[in-house]
Amino acid sequence: MNWRVLAGAIFSGLLAFFVWLAYDPLPASGQVQMVRQAVVQESPVLKPPPAPDPAWKPTALPSSLRSAAGEAPRPAWYRMRFQLAQQPSEFWALLLPYFSGGGQIWLNGHIVGDIPVSTPQMHVRWERPQLLLLPPGLLRAGTNDFCVHAAPVEGETVLNFPAPRVGPLSELRSQYERRLFWVHTMPELTIGGCLVVSVMVLLIWWRLPEELLYGWFGIATLMWAIRTLTFVIEAVPPERWQWWRLVYLASTGGFIVVMALFASRLAGLRSRRVEPCLLAYWAAGPAWFLLSGLGNDTPVNVLWTAGLIPIAIGAVTVSFVAAYRQRTVASLVLPVALAAATLCGVHDYLVAWWPEALMPIAPDWAGERYFLLHHGANALLVAMGLLLSARFVRSVRAVRDVNETLASRIADREKALAENFARVAELERQNAAAQERKLIMREIHDGLGSKLFTSLSRVERGAMDGPQMAASLRACISDMRLALEALAPDDHDLLIAFGDFMFRWQAELQAVGVRCEWTVDVAGDELPLAPHATLQVLRIAQEALTNVAKHAHAKRVVLSLRRSDDWLLLSIHDDGTGLGSPIAATGRGVLNMRARAEQLGSTLTIEQSEGQGTRVVLALPLQADVFLAAYTRAERLG
Amino acid sequence: MSSALPVEQNAGMPPLLENLPPTRVLIVEDEPEFLHHFTQAVLADPALSLDAAVASGAAALAVLSATAPDVLLLDLGLPDLNGIEVIRHVARACPQCDVLVVTMFGDDQHVFEALESGATGYLLKDLGLERIAASIHEVRAGGSPISPSIARRVLERMRASQDAAPADLPAGAPAPAPQPDRVLTPREIELLKLTAKGLSFERVGELMGISPHTVVAHVKKIYRKLAVHSRGEAVFEATQLGLL
Repeated sequence: MNWRVLAGAIFSGLLAFFVWLAYDPLPASGQVQMVRQAVVQESPVLKPPPAPDPAWKPTALPSSLRSAAGEAPRPAWYRMRFQLAQQPSEFWALLLPYFSGGGQIWLNGHIVGDIPVSTPQMHVRWERPQLLLLPPGLLRAGTNDFCVHAAPVEGETVLNFPAPRVGPLSELRSQYERRLFWVHTMPELTIGGCLVVSVMVLLIWWRLPEELLYGWFGIATLMWAIRTLTFVIEAVPPERWQWWRLVYLASTGGFIVVMALFASRLAGLRSRRVEPCLLAYWAAGPAWFLLSGLGNDTPVNVLWTAGLIPIAIGAVTVSFVAAYRQRTVASLVLPVALAAATLCGVHDYLVAWWPEALMPIAPDWAGERYFLLHHGANALLVAMGLLLSARFVRSVRAVRDVNETLASRIADREKALAENFARVAELERQNAAAQERKLIMREIHDGLGSKLFTSLSRVERGAMDGPQMAASLRACISDMRLALEALAPDDHDLLIAFGDFMFRWQAELQAVGVRCEWTVDVAGDELPLAPHATLQVLRIAQEALTNVAKHAHAKRVVLSLRRSDDWLLLSIHDDGTGLGSPIAATGRGVLNMRARAEQLGSTLTIEQSEGQGTRVVLALPLQADVFLAAYTRAERLG
Repeated sequence: MSSALPVEQNAGMPPLLENLPPTRVLIVEDEPEFLHHFTQAVLADPALSLDAAVASGAAALAVLSATAPDVLLLDLGLPDLNGIEVIRHVARACPQCDVLVVTMFGDDQHVFEALESGATGYLLKDLGLERIAASIHEVRAGGSPISPSIARRVLERMRASQDAAPADLPAGAPAPAPQPDRVLTPREIELLKLTAKGLSFERVGELMGISPHTVVAHVKKIYRKLAVHSRGEAVFEATQLGLL
């Protein structure tokens, strides 16, 4: 907050500094005279009437010569005097703060100025002041007499004439320039500024059509630029003058209507019926003007322009109501600016049409005929711009806040998802582990358990002698070893379990005189496999090796474990006599092997041929082993 | 250690060097059945002489203080003492004595601890009588058995200690003297890797171009390094404190 105060202070300081730099105090030598009295007579003749003429009527200046009702005012001569102590040596000048209709200026019987008046070829309305040089030779000590022939502006009902000022050129030039700035240069600047702003804002609106406030603001500035243009262009051919009238009407009406729309939008009001009605009313004025024929604008002026007043009042009311509802500093900006502009409008109306009302209150001010609406409207536009920029800042902030909120929400959601995922993975792992445990328990129950129960019952019956019992127990131990081997590796690696298995079996086979060779051809150092699958593979191998050791009378057995594409192939090839009879081939051991292979989803082939020994091949599809994949994935995630 | 016998020259297995005095054996086993089993095996072999067969750690220590057996058959699960402590005692008091740990299968963790404490080898409890005697001769001849899982554990142990070695040094203490035998030689590591895959000693020997006896001799050397290594820091500390 502090930096804002500081920035505001610096900005205000700079502004004051520049105003001081640009301020040009009026030189006041006391020699400038303001002429307050005149005699007047209506006359179209372009030569001053003689002084002693009963037609002259005295009048105070500034004067507003009203014509008879329903008639256009006529040109008139004004005769005035001023005193000089002595003939000045420097250039003197005559300043007419306004001289809308143009006309001639005579000094001591000589013409010193001729401002163009409306003619059939050219329509004029001078907004600028007039500064006329008074040649020193024409001035004389004592009383100087000068006459001004003032022509009315076409279409106006009053002939206004200012209080002329007479004085040294150097002093009057400053006054002239100041007035010129406010009534001519300022509108020009307004036009330029308004056009730039409106183009910019309308471009924004073009890209963001849903932001209607920008659109209204852009149109309002454009309307104002066009309306102001009609004041800057002072002389136009009459046929175009009517078009300028049209443009003036349309832009004035447009400005007011758009202001009303802007105010209602800003207040949050949005009526589907009122808005089109307002726009239609706006369009109606120019249309009426066109239909009733150019040049006949009185009814339009009287009725349609009058209709704009309630619209303006409505806009002001709406903005005040909105400010009352919102009760923020920002909400006060628009109604205050609107009210100020309205006051300016009232002031201008009085100055233009009813100067007598102002005269008693502020005679000097009223005589200057300064029109304030230009500046009030500029202030209004600036206020609208401020509101829009505040709105823009607010929406940018809101977007940023929303983004931040969204980002944090996404982060939360991601965290929740990750937790969820971890939970699911943990469940999956637990599930897999439980599944695994179940399979292994069944293995132990069906294998070791049943063997032990069978042996126990046979021993209890006395149907088992020592060596038989020893053999049975050895088989049990062998079974248990196998389970331990399958379960031992922490990383569920078939290669490790197979290594342990072969290490044990080598010794056992050697003991019965069978030479054993084995090869492993698996890419990589490990072959992850679920423990129960490892157990089944090893059981099949054990069954095969047991057959070799017990029945085959083999001298040599070759084991190979290899991976070919998506298959794991375990082959056990001996050079023995085979299983002997076909019955043995369908015996319990082989059946067991087949059942286990089926459980794994693999195939078991047993080939026997005379003199070639027996070859048992287990083919385990690795990709099809979904349980393996799920198991290892769960393990790794856990 | 008494592994000075040149293994390469000792080609026969079991060694049939009749002129040598019989190997003196002490059996420590609390299970009467196995005690009987082992005693039978030792008595049945003329090249072995039984010093004593006891059923408790305290008795074993008492026998050890009186006699100097060549081989100690030791069950780890004793009722009074932890078998590991007995091994440590033997390693300290009679370093010439080979300790053979008697174990159930699938008991690798205990076997490994025993090897780290200084045991030279291990016997499986379900071996036949003749295999028991043969194993004792093997150990005396300078060899040691090793299973794939034990080989894996040794490899892991070495790797872990090598990784952790620099961090192990206490910051302010004087650095221990470098121990060249702390680290296994590349050939020893290769042997362990082959063994860890489950290959037999014959096959390992073939692949490494050495005889199976050399393989088991290497294993015994590895065990010794393992024991030295695991006790290295303890020994160093003890020396520093003047206990040794």
